[in-house]
Amino acid sequence: MTFEHCVRCTICVENCPVYKVEPLFPGPKQSGPDAQRFRLDGEKSVDQWVKYCCQCRRCEVACPYGVQVAEIILKAQLKYGEEHLSPFSSHLFANAYHLEAIGSTLAPLFNRVAALSLTKKAMSLFGISGELDLPAFRFLNLERGRRRKGRGRKVVFFYGCHLNFNRPDIGTGIRDLLVSMGCRVVMPPQTCCGLPALGNGDLDMARKYANKNASVLTSYIDRGFDVVYACTSCGLSLVQDYPGILDVEGGRKIAENTYNVHEYILSLIQQGSVKIPLGILERKIAYHIPCHLRALGIGYPATKLFKLIDGLQVSVLEDHCCGMAGTYGFKKRNQNTAARLGEIASGAIRGLGVDAVVADCGACRMQLEHFTGLPALDPSEIIREALQNSPEHRGKTEKGIVRWWRGIKDARHAARTLPAWPRR
Amino acid sequence: MSAVTHDVVVIGGGMSGLMASAYLAGKGFKTALISQGDPVCCLSTGCVDVLSPGTHPLEGFDGLPPGHPYRLVGRKGIEDGCRLFKEIMATTTIPYAGTVRKNREILTPIGTFKTTCLVPLTMTGAEGCRDGYTHVISFNGLRDFYPSYITSRLKNTGFSLYDAGITSTLGIATRFEDKAFLEAFIAWIEGLEIPPGKVALPAVLGIQSPVQIMEEISRRIGSEVFEIPTLPPSIPGLRLFRALKGALTARGGDLYWGKAVGSVECRGSMVEAVTLATQGRPSRVQGRAFILATGSFVSGGLFARIDTVNETVFDLPVYVPGPRKDWFWNDFFTAGHPIEKAGIEVDGSLRPTRSDLKNLFVCGSILAHGEIMKNHCGHGLAIATGLKAARICEGFLS
Repeated sequence: MTFEHCVRCTICVENCPVYKVEPLFPGPKQSGPDAQRFRLDGEKSVDQWVKYCCQCRRCEVACPYGVQVAEIILKAQLKYGEEHLSPFSSHLFANAYHLEAIGSTLAPLFNRVAALSLTKKAMSLFGISGELDLPAFRFLNLERGRRRKGRGRKVVFFYGCHLNFNRPDIGTGIRDLLVSMGCRVVMPPQTCCGLPALGNGDLDMARKYANKNASVLTSYIDRGFDVVYACTSCGLSLVQDYPGILDVEGGRKIAENTYNVHEYILSLIQQGSVKIPLGILERKIAYHIPCHLRALGIGYPATKLFKLIDGLQVSVLEDHCCGMAGTYGFKKRNQNTAARLGEIASGAIRGLGVDAVVADCGACRMQLEHFTGLPALDPSEIIREALQNSPEHRGKTEKGIVRWWRGIKDARHAARTLPAWPRR
Repeated sequence: MSAVTHDVVVIGGGMSGLMASAYLAGKGFKTALISQGDPVCCLSTGCVDVLSPGTHPLEGFDGLPPGHPYRLVGRKGIEDGCRLFKEIMATTTIPYAGTVRKNREILTPIGTFKTTCLVPLTMTGAEGCRDGYTHVISFNGLRDFYPSYITSRLKNTGFSLYDAGITSTLGIATRFEDKAFLEAFIAWIEGLEIPPGKVALPAVLGIQSPVQIMEEISRRIGSEVFEIPTLPPSIPGLRLFRALKGALTARGGDLYWGKAVGSVECRGSMVEAVTLATQGRPSRVQGRAFILATGSFVSGGLFARIDTVNETVFDLPVYVPGPRKDWFWNDFFTAGHPIEKAGIEVDGSLRPTRSDLKNLFVCGSILAHGEIMKNHCGHGLAIATGLKAARICEGFLS
């Protein structure tokens, strides 16, 4: 639906996280469909406020008429980015993949240098917020690990940059979870999904990344593989942007054959091909729904898996954006907005008396861990913990999932002190 | 692929759909709620109008035409619906006051009084504010709320303006959740030296915990505080919607938000599944029973073409009051337009007539002959028919 279908009801405005806290942002209605009525093709864009939009796409999910508010704003952002000199931080973050690859290669050194206050001061000169710590990088990333495992149903795992460079432990955990369910998991060479480049106003760069991934993924899909993603932002990019705004070759095919990992596990259970022996897990968790999982429109598959776990108490929170929005919160310009939104989102969690925050998105986890002080986990970690507690797994020698879970637990403990790869 | 069979699939996330799904989820049924976007109740004042605007909400019940949906639920059904609604809201941070026995009064932003049946606790203070002094507090730059409308109409009133640093209702409401902002605001009021009486504010006292914030201000300044509903973006409407949705997820309901139903799968006279129109692979939601609560024209449940009206999900036959030239009057607010009668006609068990679907139940403003504007029964009708549909569904499933 185009801007002409907008009836100006302001439901999108009620859902905009940035509009809530940033007086300079006029809200999705005004910067989206309203302003679009005045934007002419030949004219230079003048609405500099579009850069405040964090592309959480809550407006699009909320719109009862299906107007693609966020996409209208995204196009305006791209046009504005083309016509105006964009800040250096945008160029840096558009290239997030390469930066992270460097960070990972030089991991122990890079992590220590990044934590120095002098480095933070230097970064703030480039428009990067010095308030937040950069996530710790791991040298033994997924690219350097085992790329094929198991046999059975053919699955390509699109792990995304965050799991690759920062949390390979979660990545290998998901790989082994799928393997234990009778999947042959392949993790082919892949690059950034392109969303950071798109969010930082660089359409060409985003296309370049997307084309690279698309050629790999389509070749696997043609051989009967299903694509599975864990990061919901990568997933949204694969499903919505590849056939949509990026318009890459084979985009439609990718969109049709791509699954959220929990959606995939559910479908395996549904088909009766696997039984997962989930044990009792006495925990109380808050499940923060990432904005991009909402935008996917597939419901919240992980909640259905959580319901299969006895003893697990889950509070689903879906009304708050954590404020990080990928690279958005790392920019100095947005740091106050991000911090306020993080405060609001974690305020809702604090009152619940939970022992952990669970979120599918790496950026959400970083932000919420920072603001709530609670451990932030991926849903797959909860599922693996429940599997570990099952009577079928207990007492066996440490193999497969159990061994991995041990390794991950140790790694999480170690991560608090030193950046380290899971000990085997 | 993502299908896991639900007991009930409710289509439409408005008042009616939320009530039906919250009730069923509370009874232990596996419930899914599908909605293309947020409902119109987000734009409402948050108050529940049941029927007549006089002193007694149900005094006009006997005057309703025979086909009106209220006739199907009866007086008792309306009472039960309102009671259940209040019970559900009492479990959230947005409790409601009022009964179907007596209407209440709230103050409007233009200084008039409006009667309504169920009122959020933050607005109840408006009753009796004619008798004493009322001080209106607004905010610098807040659009669509002008305290002088109130002070020029109501005697014994005054107003002050506070600078909140942001000019939208949503922005101010968000700031009220912040302790430091609230403290500064209270300190400012204490310095105003307002004559004894009541304090009225536009409805911006927080989104999550308005009652707590209202009581805190009230306790500290020593006078009763209440809210006045505003134009959209309306915070009380947003609170109502979020609280009901939260009540549903707390009862274990599944949400599918943001995508419309693309196609429907039927076998014989049973609906088996609906498919969501996602960008990628269509997402299939299976169920044993279905509730249609997609609302009327504004909500997208009905779609008008030049001379016909379509139902957008199941393509059910729609009752239309004659050809297009008979759809509209000149006078909208007192008599309503005849096209408001359009909708789905149902039998006593809320199954659509002129359709052979056995496991589909219809509720809310999509029902024919509701004439919501004319009968002042928007939320009330949604609540009562939503509960009725849920109860019929309960019987059908067990």
